[in-house]
Amino acid sequence: MDVVALVGVCVALAGAAVMPFVELRPNRLVPGVTHSVLTAGPWVVVLVVSLLAGLVAAVRPGGRTHVVLVALGAVGVFSAVCWGLGAASRQLLEGQTPIARVSVGAGAWMMLAGAAVLGFAGKSGARRSPFRVAAFAALLGAVLVAALKWGGLADISLAREYVVRSADFWPLVGDHIVLTMMALTFGIVLGVPLGLWATRNRRVRGVVLGVTGVIQTVPSLALLGLLVVPLSALSTAVPFLRQLGIRGIGTAPAVVALTLYALLPVVRNTYVGVSGVDPAALDAALGMGMNRWQRLTRVQLPLAAPLVIDGVRTAAVLLVGITTLTVFAGARNLGVLIFEGLGQFAPDLILLGALPTIVLAMLADVTLSALGRALTPKGVRE
Amino acid sequence: MIRLEHVSKRYGDTLAIDDLTFEIPDGEVCVLIGPSGCGKTTTLRMINRLVEPSTGTITIDGRDIMSVPTEQLRRGFGYAIQSVGLFPHLTVADNIGVVPRLLGWDKERIAERAVSMLTLVGLDPAAYSGKYPRQLSGGEAQRVGVARALAADPPVLLMDEPFGAVDPLNRVRLQDEFVRLQRELHKTVIFVTHDIDEAVRLADRIAIMRDGRLQQFDTPEQLLDHPANKFVHDFIGADRALKRLVRVRVDSMMTDAARVVIGAGADAARMAAGSRRFTYVTSSDGRLEGWLDTDDLKDGVFAADAITRADPAEISVNAETSLRDALSRMLGLGFRSIAVTDDDCRLVGEVTLRGIEQAMAGSDEHVAPKVGEK
Repeated sequence: MDVVALVGVCVALAGAAVMPFVELRPNRLVPGVTHSVLTAGPWVVVLVVSLLAGLVAAVRPGGRTHVVLVALGAVGVFSAVCWGLGAASRQLLEGQTPIARVSVGAGAWMMLAGAAVLGFAGKSGARRSPFRVAAFAALLGAVLVAALKWGGLADISLAREYVVRSADFWPLVGDHIVLTMMALTFGIVLGVPLGLWATRNRRVRGVVLGVTGVIQTVPSLALLGLLVVPLSALSTAVPFLRQLGIRGIGTAPAVVALTLYALLPVVRNTYVGVSGVDPAALDAALGMGMNRWQRLTRVQLPLAAPLVIDGVRTAAVLLVGITTLTVFAGARNLGVLIFEGLGQFAPDLILLGALPTIVLAMLADVTLSALGRALTPKGVRE
Repeated sequence: MIRLEHVSKRYGDTLAIDDLTFEIPDGEVCVLIGPSGCGKTTTLRMINRLVEPSTGTITIDGRDIMSVPTEQLRRGFGYAIQSVGLFPHLTVADNIGVVPRLLGWDKERIAERAVSMLTLVGLDPAAYSGKYPRQLSGGEAQRVGVARALAADPPVLLMDEPFGAVDPLNRVRLQDEFVRLQRELHKTVIFVTHDIDEAVRLADRIAIMRDGRLQQFDTPEQLLDHPANKFVHDFIGADRALKRLVRVRVDSMMTDAARVVIGAGADAARMAAGSRRFTYVTSSDGRLEGWLDTDDLKDGVFAADAITRADPAEISVNAETSLRDALSRMLGLGFRSIAVTDDDCRLVGEVTLRGIEQAMAGSDEHVAPKVGEK
């Protein structure tokens, strides 16, 4: 019995059976009438077949059939939801005013979540090559694009929000990435040396780990607020900084705050990684005549690299999320869409900001995990 | 020549090393020994400045070690420690190449060196070069550790219990190989151990320490025969006579063995045995095959079933074995003599219990230290 696959199937099934699939609303702001998965028309059949495939895979785990069935189930549910949403919106919007909207319902989200869990079950069975992962992602992307182009998915409210905001959507994504990367870079440049320093001196360790830990507990919004005043003062006092664009409002406080948040994971993992190096190896390095720099670059860092990268990964995923909050300090990124959506009570606009943020976080996670594996020395790999 | 002059090391109020003076001639193995906390490791680590002496001077060939930059000084020693400390992210070959790389050798020379070092310590380079430390057994790791220490051909080796982390059987094997290596390489070796058997087996000179003070600095024979005080006497233990046998190789005590080739007649066997009841039986190329009891002989060609066949590795000892190991084997087998064979299991002679008794009687003086003597 493959419990993970079974959970995936059950979640998707519950979503389909109990929760609303779509919601037809007179306009983008007011609530409307919910409809069941039956509005998906013929795609219900695809959904049922896919769930059956997943169920068979869950009951009879192991072997190549299992992997194939799980993949079929996951891709099938995903396709059925994408195309089913398109079919539903086409059908429901017929005869409605142009401002009427069809929103994705909780049931559809649950089915997507179930498909993801099912796909995760397949991952453990199949040999996991980057090629396969990429091929799988490309397949899902193709299904989504096709549904948008021909399946009527472009009529769904979320897609319509995108069309309205398409002019500033991609720049906001770009700004989001740039801001996160900047803070992450500063976090690494500061955090790794701080972590190294902590391994050399007990007192420093207490202070560095303590302070970065405390920063982590300060609420993000409060930290941004606290930064506005000193940065404004700094900007006024030093004209050169003002010319660089450093002010109390905007990118500067966002970068500073995000850098501070990145510190804890980076510092802590660097500290743990470097101090975890076998003392015998260090004694040998010392006794064989390596100087401090050689010990660091030839012994400590190569051995600590996987843990350091893991800290960077944690920080990256954390920052992608917190970056949305820096909108309150005047920075521009995907958070803009989320907070405008909150202000207008427009749930689909919130999603337009939130979904790409989640995708970015997942991308950061996947890339940095791969980098961590690549940097793990062959001799210490499991 | 390494010379320590009035060397002391103080940690706060405690004197870890108290006025140590001795010198180690070139090409000798000097073993530092004593109970834990006696300062033997500290002494070793002062020589490559992992620990700086509080007072006193250490010179190598007349040059004060404090006048040499630390890294340069350390690269000039081979350094091997009990926990080995191989770098887990480097292959065996790269581990061996660490010091040569620090010294700026070119790649080809480093690779060649790794191959010859692995061969030297008895590991097949083809099989081991590409392995990672975690794929090695304890004994293999220790060998690689020694190979790494020898890689840059340093004149002096500093070894801190380099065979400490392996089982007793493998340890003896490593010790034998160390003796063989040292006969070839003639390094100056400072070797720390807490195992007096290991010290007696390997040392040209033993420095026995207690509470940071040198108790006696002598050859193993002198130490065994004339312990300087009660501490040394007790530390050596009650089996001093047996320990002395560790220093004597079997081939130095060996006598001719009665032998007959398979297929020779019963008369030939009787003639070979002479007054004895037994004779060793060899194949035509001299390989030891077993022995036979002359009482079992009938006339003519002796029957094959008269021979007690046995694995040569079981019933003989190698010519380079210590007398103590030979004695131990004899007692274990219940024999009054044991065959000695060369590396190809060819019979070269035998050692008898009587011979060993005579050897021991010659030098045993039963030195009894006076009670209360320090």
